[in-house]
Amino acid sequence: MSIPPQQAPDPKRFEVSKGTLLFDRLMTQVIRCGGIAVILAVFGIFLFIVKEIVPLFSGAEVRPGEVREQTGERPQVLGVDEWGERPFLYSGRDRITFISATDGQREEVEIPGLKDKVITATAYDPVNRRVALGLDDGSVGSFIVAYQTEFADDGSRTVKPEITLEPWFQVSVGEGAVKALAYGDGGAARVLVVAREKGLAVLRLAQKRALVGKPKLALAGTDDLTSQVNSEILGVAASQNGQAVLVADASGEVRYFQSDAGKVSLIEVFRPFGEEPPVRMDFLFGGVSVAMTRQGGEQKIFSLFRPEGSEIRVFGETKSFDPLGSGTPVFAPNLRNKSFLTGAGGRLTLRHLTSGATRWEGEAPFEPVLATFDGKSEHFFIAAEDGRIQGYRLDDPHPEAGWRAFFGKVWYEGGSGPVYQWQSTGGTDDFEPKLSLIPLIVGSLKGTFYALMFSVPIALLAAIFSASFLPHDMKRVVKPAMEIMASLPSVVLGFLAGIWLAPMVEDKVPSILLLCLSLPVSALLVGVLWCRLPMKSRRLFEGGREWLLLLPVLGVVAMVAWSLGPLLEKALFVYRDPGGREIADFRLWWPQATGLPFDQRNSMVVGFMMGFAVIPVIFTIAEDSLSNVPKTLTAAAAALGASRWQVVRSIIIPVASPGIFSALMIGFGRAVGETMIVVMATGNTPVTSWNIFSGMRTLSANIAVELPEAAPGSTHYRTLFLGALVLFMLTFTLNSMAEILRQRLREKNKIV
Amino acid sequence: MDSKPTSFATTGRSRKGEPFVWLTAAGLTMGVVLTLGLLGLVVTKGIQTFWPDRIQVFEIDTGAGTEKVAGYVVQERERRDPQGVDHEEIQIFRGNRELFGEKFAFFDRASIRSQEIPEDILLVERMEGGHVIARAGKILRADGTEVPANDPGFATSLDELIEKTDTKREELRRIEKIEIGRNAREVKELRSLERFEGSTPETQARLATLNEEFLKLDAERNLVRQALAGDVLLLDAVDGREIRIEAGELLHIFRPNQAGVIGRTGEMLRRVWHFLASDPREANTEGGVYPAIFGTVVMTLVMSLFVTPFGVVAAIYLREYAKQGPLVRAVRISVNNLAGVPSIVFGVFGLAFFIYFLGGVVDSWFFPRSEEPVFKSGGVLWASLTLALLTVPVVIVATEEALAAVPRGVREAALACGASKWQAIQRVVLPASLPGILTGVILAMARGAGEVAPLMLVGVVKSAPDLPIDGEAPFIHAERQFMHLGFHIYDLGFQSPDSEAAKPMVFATTLLLITIVVVMNLAAIIIRNRLRKKYATSSF
Repeated sequence: MSIPPQQAPDPKRFEVSKGTLLFDRLMTQVIRCGGIAVILAVFGIFLFIVKEIVPLFSGAEVRPGEVREQTGERPQVLGVDEWGERPFLYSGRDRITFISATDGQREEVEIPGLKDKVITATAYDPVNRRVALGLDDGSVGSFIVAYQTEFADDGSRTVKPEITLEPWFQVSVGEGAVKALAYGDGGAARVLVVAREKGLAVLRLAQKRALVGKPKLALAGTDDLTSQVNSEILGVAASQNGQAVLVADASGEVRYFQSDAGKVSLIEVFRPFGEEPPVRMDFLFGGVSVAMTRQGGEQKIFSLFRPEGSEIRVFGETKSFDPLGSGTPVFAPNLRNKSFLTGAGGRLTLRHLTSGATRWEGEAPFEPVLATFDGKSEHFFIAAEDGRIQGYRLDDPHPEAGWRAFFGKVWYEGGSGPVYQWQSTGGTDDFEPKLSLIPLIVGSLKGTFYALMFSVPIALLAAIFSASFLPHDMKRVVKPAMEIMASLPSVVLGFLAGIWLAPMVEDKVPSILLLCLSLPVSALLVGVLWCRLPMKSRRLFEGGREWLLLLPVLGVVAMVAWSLGPLLEKALFVYRDPGGREIADFRLWWPQATGLPFDQRNSMVVGFMMGFAVIPVIFTIAEDSLSNVPKTLTAAAAALGASRWQVVRSIIIPVASPGIFSALMIGFGRAVGETMIVVMATGNTPVTSWNIFSGMRTLSANIAVELPEAAPGSTHYRTLFLGALVLFMLTFTLNSMAEILRQRLREKNKIV
Repeated sequence: MDSKPTSFATTGRSRKGEPFVWLTAAGLTMGVVLTLGLLGLVVTKGIQTFWPDRIQVFEIDTGAGTEKVAGYVVQERERRDPQGVDHEEIQIFRGNRELFGEKFAFFDRASIRSQEIPEDILLVERMEGGHVIARAGKILRADGTEVPANDPGFATSLDELIEKTDTKREELRRIEKIEIGRNAREVKELRSLERFEGSTPETQARLATLNEEFLKLDAERNLVRQALAGDVLLLDAVDGREIRIEAGELLHIFRPNQAGVIGRTGEMLRRVWHFLASDPREANTEGGVYPAIFGTVVMTLVMSLFVTPFGVVAAIYLREYAKQGPLVRAVRISVNNLAGVPSIVFGVFGLAFFIYFLGGVVDSWFFPRSEEPVFKSGGVLWASLTLALLTVPVVIVATEEALAAVPRGVREAALACGASKWQAIQRVVLPASLPGILTGVILAMARGAGEVAPLMLVGVVKSAPDLPIDGEAPFIHAERQFMHLGFHIYDLGFQSPDSEAAKPMVFATTLLLITIVVVMNLAAIIIRNRLRKKYATSSF
């Protein structure tokens, strides 16, 4: 035998073609970049949603403009056009000064017909830009500063002021000069509140439509309120819609008169600051709330609300703010939302009524005496005693947002106390959105709770049986069947819940109660009886086929329980109607017995159908962890003489308990985010009650229902995103915890 | 402890805790019964809507005399009146909307005097107004002749009539949808061109010819309409009133009480086909769901086009290329968990990112002239992308599992033979894990097909005039809104004005959707089981 001489291998044999290497490197890069990009993209979802909601939590941005020169006179009225371009100052004479906010140019315009008149009081309504005037002879009138906006071809605009004088009215009540006045313009019906040296009157003005020409404003009546006020009148205020009139006197009392259907009546007398009178009373946007400010800067908000059991709306204190500090307080309501600018002694703050939050704070270059907003809520202006003015650019797109608005109890206008409420859209412009997420979160948790109540027992029991007792060949059919159930589209479940199940179980609640009780009890009973049987017959069904035997038994039990329901109803759930007649009907009995409503589409139906969606999720995961319990453990227990249930109870369940727990968490996550079932099977009313027979609105259903209608970038839109983020965080955290638990369990079982 | 020794006979079959075993068995029983019951319910209800029932004529005591009603029983129920007395009621579908207003009515069982199944009742389907249940009256032809029901040639002339209207209607549809539609589109394009670039003699000339063409088409259309309008079918309802149906309205006539089992099966198949292949009518409550099927399929396919490569690349990266460590483990857990994030959250993201952000960018780059948003509104493309994001974790997880299941030996053998890393993956690992990847993709498609909540935000509509893929250039219209089976169910069941009339359609649609989803899932499960068998020996 000769060994062939060792040949040195051809060195080329170990060479790889350049192309292969290049391609390999290329693919490595492609896959690395692609993989990282996909993963980043998936996590980008989270960042993008966060990006959308960040503006909700930022305060107002305010940029001061330049200080414009003085007029020398003490201004009484400061107003501005809707673009914030040409503010004007009026100091109670026959001329009015317009100042350009861009270049500071001044323009004096004469007001016709004011030449020889002595003006003793002024009032300003920023919405209509109406200056109301009171004269020394007791007559009152007004003029409107209108702006004509002209757009040039290149898109630039010019704003031209125009002054329209309105008719004069002589006040027939009282005597002396006009001391204070207020104008409430409710369109067709208006009020002019006039306080004279002696006497107080409300002039009701009516807009009469003429056949030809402009509608005419005429005096519809004068109400003499002199006798209703005891001490000297210090201030008057009228709401935007002309329905509420407030009169403050020297004794610290404020009287609320309501002007309605041609008469003015006293509704309420209250003392905002005890003995001390308020120095300012200013209505906020919407005319439902009024801000009272006292010397020294203490500020309280009073809102109209209906006390429980009363039909009449009265003013009640809803909020109080930190004192503004010393100095003359200034105040300007925002004309777009419920925020307002206030301040004293050179300090300015922008506050929001609903959330009670301070949106911005800043120092003015002088001590302002007047302030006003433009109609778009993009600028505000302040004026000093010597006629200097300064403009500010305001950027506050989400004034009503904030932690308190979303998660705290808020006292909304018109409510009788602080509440959690979700009502995002309303019919009118001055509607106050109620954006508390709490009712939605409660709704989500409520649906989840009832779903888990129904699904957890069934899923866990089934998982235990399947993992511990079911023969292998049956398991091969049962598990995929459950997986298919997991894939049933939720829209199908929701549709069945709403159209088929809800009407069917509406009048069968007692039957369902009986079913819930009788099924487990009868299964236990069968077990007890089965043990008494001789071994010979037991052998037929042993070893995991018990569930087949239970099929007919439970079927019969269910049918009996179902048909016994009406009997139970007759025995227990009898409703007594006002006439004394007795009707056995659970639907009527429940509200009578508990005071809670009964809806056809209720949480029970949702819980049942959502349970369907959750059962397979919990079953699959719990079954996995139960069957992965090491055989050595169970075999050891059985060898020590444990019965098969003892093995399950003392070995399998404790060892697999983290897995079972993680199954529950994942089931919870699935139920919390479920959308279609809830949309279709509940009435979608946001409520904060845990009543099983009422509906709810969940975070997810709320998004599905409202997001298509929400304007992009609006507070409503971003709040819905916040809801989505809450859902995302909730499910993601739960699932991560569950996953970590499961991995630990897997490692533990490996070691064992 | 019990000091008495237990006999060996009871070991392993001890009675201790046996009732609890039975309790757990009850859990499984209930789970299985609920699952099968739900599926069974949908299947029976779905099939019921297609099966032609016999039409019965009931004589009903109204208190002031008797009234005859023809129809078939839809359901029976017990109702409790405010006095607490129970009534057994039957719900009858009686059609003939112009006579009764409501197509369905409840009658107290106690008020029914007699019921019979007469042979000569017709069930007539028409374009508008729902079904008519009546006896044949006569045919009034446009030329003034009439054929009474007792004429021996009545049946043939009725068939002729229906055939004629069918062809005419098809012609009308062609003129209206295709030719006039094309004309209108070109006019719109020209107008938009004129607005931006000023009108030129050419555009004006083209507009004039288009207008002429339109007038010609309009005249043609009117001609066909006139031909459709002439003939009339008169029917006698069982209560003696007469129903008049223009021939142009006639769709189909069936005699349910004469047909035998074969005839009724044939009718059922016809209804199934009609349901699958025709457009919806009457606010979706009649007709078929063809556009919804088409939309669902297109959306799902486009989605899988996105989700497959991305999911597979990400999985290969995670399993084969990334350095295994705590970071990759964290990423893996997170990806896994994304599958559990509520679908509506993805919808929210899709709306904000794809439609408002990306759509806005695309519109400002490519369609600055368009008056209405093109891509800045919901459409097939955005919906598919949203669902792709939603389902990408499914594919990643499945692919990773499949890659991990490829035995180490196979991989090492490939490397030992001198393959580069990519060559080993491409030639050995990927083919071996293909069934697993396929399972993941099918599962993702099944999930995508059944998902509704995110689609409501990103482009699904109750009724879309055009399909996302058609014969118009550029053939694939990614920006178009589309119909979807799942949304169809939601819309019909909960938004439709006459929910009772919509019920059969909803059940039929539900059956269809469930069939699609279950078949896809079964396929995935079967493929997965095969895969397990293939590697069962080598992986454990």
